[in-house]
Amino acid sequence: MKKLLLLITIILSTSTIFAYDLIHPIGGRASAMGSSSVAAQGLWAMQNNPAGMATLKKISLGLYYENRWLLPETAYKCGAFALPTKFGTLGLSFNQFGSSKYNENKFGLAYAKDFGKYLQIGLQLDYLMLKIGNDYGKYNAVTFELGIQSHITDKLTLGTYIFNPVNFSFEQTLYHEKLPIVMRFGLAYQFTKDFIGQCEIEKDTEKDGISLRGGLEYEAFKSFYIRAGVQTNPGILSFGLGYAIRFAQINVAAQLHNELGASVQIGMIFSIGK
Amino acid sequence: MKQLVLIILSLFIISFAKAQIAIDTLSTEALNNLLIEQVERLAEDGDEDADYEDLLENYIFLSENPVNLNSDEIMQLVELRLITVFQFEALQQYRRYYGDFLFLDELAMVEGLDEQTVAIIRPVVCIEKDYSKDKITFNKMARYGKHQIVGRFEQVLEKQQGYLPIDDSVLLDRPNSRYLGSPQKYQLKYTYNYRNKIRAGFVLEKDAGELFFTDKVGDTIQKLLGNTNSRGFDFAGFHLYAKDLGFVKAAVLGDYQLAFGQGLTLWSGMSFGKAGAGSSVMKQGRGITPKGSASEYGFMRGAAVTFGGGPFSGTVFYSHRWVDANVSVADSLDEAELVSSLQETGYHRTIGELQDRHAIRQQIVGGHLAYAIAHFEVGYTAQHTWLSTPLELRPSHYNQFYFQGKRLTNHGVDFKYVKGKYAVFGEASMSLNYDSTNLQQPRRPWAVAGLVGLTVKPAGYLNFTIMYRDYGKSYQNLSGNAFGEAGRNQGQRGIYLGVEAAPAPYWNLLAYADQFQFTWLTSQVNAPSSGHDYYLRISHSFNRRTQAYLQFRSKTKMKNSMDAFVFSHYPIFYTKNTVRFNINYQIGWDLHCSNKAEYAYYHNDDGSNEHGYFLCQDIAYKPENRPYSLAFRYAIFDAKDYNARVYAYENDVLYSFSVPALYGKGMRFYLLGKVKLFNALTLYARIGRTIYSDRDEIGSGLTLIEGNHKTDLKVEAIWKL
Repeated sequence: MKKLLLLITIILSTSTIFAYDLIHPIGGRASAMGSSSVAAQGLWAMQNNPAGMATLKKISLGLYYENRWLLPETAYKCGAFALPTKFGTLGLSFNQFGSSKYNENKFGLAYAKDFGKYLQIGLQLDYLMLKIGNDYGKYNAVTFELGIQSHITDKLTLGTYIFNPVNFSFEQTLYHEKLPIVMRFGLAYQFTKDFIGQCEIEKDTEKDGISLRGGLEYEAFKSFYIRAGVQTNPGILSFGLGYAIRFAQINVAAQLHNELGASVQIGMIFSIGK
Repeated sequence: MKQLVLIILSLFIISFAKAQIAIDTLSTEALNNLLIEQVERLAEDGDEDADYEDLLENYIFLSENPVNLNSDEIMQLVELRLITVFQFEALQQYRRYYGDFLFLDELAMVEGLDEQTVAIIRPVVCIEKDYSKDKITFNKMARYGKHQIVGRFEQVLEKQQGYLPIDDSVLLDRPNSRYLGSPQKYQLKYTYNYRNKIRAGFVLEKDAGELFFTDKVGDTIQKLLGNTNSRGFDFAGFHLYAKDLGFVKAAVLGDYQLAFGQGLTLWSGMSFGKAGAGSSVMKQGRGITPKGSASEYGFMRGAAVTFGGGPFSGTVFYSHRWVDANVSVADSLDEAELVSSLQETGYHRTIGELQDRHAIRQQIVGGHLAYAIAHFEVGYTAQHTWLSTPLELRPSHYNQFYFQGKRLTNHGVDFKYVKGKYAVFGEASMSLNYDSTNLQQPRRPWAVAGLVGLTVKPAGYLNFTIMYRDYGKSYQNLSGNAFGEAGRNQGQRGIYLGVEAAPAPYWNLLAYADQFQFTWLTSQVNAPSSGHDYYLRISHSFNRRTQAYLQFRSKTKMKNSMDAFVFSHYPIFYTKNTVRFNINYQIGWDLHCSNKAEYAYYHNDDGSNEHGYFLCQDIAYKPENRPYSLAFRYAIFDAKDYNARVYAYENDVLYSFSVPALYGKGMRFYLLGKVKLFNALTLYARIGRTIYSDRDEIGSGLTLIEGNHKTDLKVEAIWKL
């Protein structure tokens, strides 16, 4: 209860309610690495930077669940599906944050194309829906997100991502809810075969200041990963584990906030194909 | 194979003999630079008045008495955090594969030792015959033993408030309004060392303001002083130390330091703590070390012995020391005495400070048992402290879990496992605080504290550390010093994450994030609070003579709001961000230059914003094969207030260290000279002056100076035999 009150106070004290939690990076791996993800590949790249989906080789289905500060009212759920084809990777996703009293939803249709080693481009079209319980209303908006990645050396990958670049917003709401523009760029560096470091910077136009993120991943044993990361504004340390087999992978993470406590994230990806 | 390499190496050495000399002098600088940075970070973390000599004397001793690379002595390098445990293993492995080191240049070929580490440790290792098994004879001790005498004089040249003449009646009225002694500080130190096996020494010191000659003071002071009239040096200490005497691994009599495990149960003296961060948050207990410095608190005085055989070793110790405390009579009927606080400054300049001097007796008895096999080490530490007079703190919310009463017992278990790519370490400790009157009845139940960490080294040039600590809010320890934020290992929880990497040749990266919570109130923080500390440092060696680094630090903590309009003072967040750029370079062979620029930004939730700037130029002229050298610094600073203060290490006479906190607006310069008169005698002198442009008086209270400048002078003579 105390935590809930504190959370509400914190949410109210930030200027906007919407799109606070729906745009943040997801996936058990990104969450464990301080939410750094803009230069990462995989299925969850659909949400984090669609360009990272371009190199996907297998048909993949992923499920993700996050419980912010261990409160059921702040659950984040996501389901995503990706289909690699000859002319690029196609993706479909559904994200939901909140409870029945207040929830944010996003339906996404994504497409990413690999133009060789140096350039991957990704795009996702979003249909956003905000629902406030007790007949307070239902609002929707349309926007898109864009991303590019480049493997500029064998070790170094750069990535840039923009959410809502043309600044669409929820026109119909009573409160003139704005949709933020969120921009991230950063890099991933493959120190050794089994060790990766990532860092990035994020600016959300509806929040004060910038957020810096960094994370590390180490393959301690075959297919078993340990991860740790840090992000600033808000200050969060995160840790996680991952395990992968040929057709499935599971990643878990915990993010620790000094005042609000822990959040847990779990992501699963099933894939078919060679 | 090895021989071929050695031939090539020796050719290299011969043909570049001149270059070699220069590299050697530079190498000492690499160690110096490392220490400078760590001391600066330590100062930033709040131990301003700390006596760094105590911490740094081991490094100086090492640089003057290099350890034998082909012996187990190199463990000292790990203990002093100059190399990591992984690098230690790499050195051992190299010796196992290729045999003993024949040349120091072989260090460059050890896998896992980057060029920066080699530069740091090169001047503190040597290759010589292993003397550890030698029999010690009086003859040899007389012949090979090294003697050293250091005398130092220090003074602030401006008259400070505490030294100004005063009317007797005023002094009688307010006896603490003047210092009793002269403004000079003297120190005399003698040390003897026989092949690092036998060490002995003594130290005498009088701080500025302390009384030396009692017959020089006026009648009023005599009257106030009462019977405490036999003076002389305010602090005196000695030590006698021997190691590797067969079954007895080490023994000491006099002043010494003890350090076991991760420092949670027993670690007297200072430690770099977070300042020495990176992979080195894992501490390596040094066991017994003699203490030769003149620091007046945080050490043991008595005797200690370490025995060892096979995988087992054991240490027992006893310490008996008079400590400064504020004693008051609690009950006028039975005249029971109480102590309201323990003083740790070591200053005895005023009547009040003199009355507190050595007011109570602190005795500590304890021991350590260790079992160590190839990769694993486990230890048990116990200590019991008792005071001659019970400590009764002035009741306040924040200090109600602090140590009080007479007796304190600590037990702790530590472990360490280092193998391959992994190092796991930790310590758990308990404390029990007994009341002064009833020994059977503890004041509180057992309180616990613990820390555990993991360091992983995926590749030779890369490692990262995760560490968790949780120190109970009533865990008490009077002589512990484990990793943590702020001084006490009490009422604190935190997670630390650090990385150290050399991603490309000549590039080094060090970063850490520490997130912590104080589980109880602390001084000037009226609620449990939290904070975090982020640090990033990127360094680059452009060539052997040019190194630069860029450093960012952001630290957020909580402190009571100073807003005058609020009724109750609740804690608010404040943040201090600093950016520093530093470059060291060399012009020709003789001129060493360095530049430093720092920007500090402080802000808090009350809305105060402060900026601090610091710029400096260092020039040192060190001509080769000449008996003299000169160093000069010119610096300007502009920081509105103390909150945006800037710390900058200053070169000083040998064995002395200064890291002044600069704030206000003004400039500072110093000139340091060194001259070797003949082989055995070296003289140092330093004069420094700070000139403020925004104020007409400096300091406050007894250290107040009327005027806008402050000048400090130091002279030192070192006699080596």
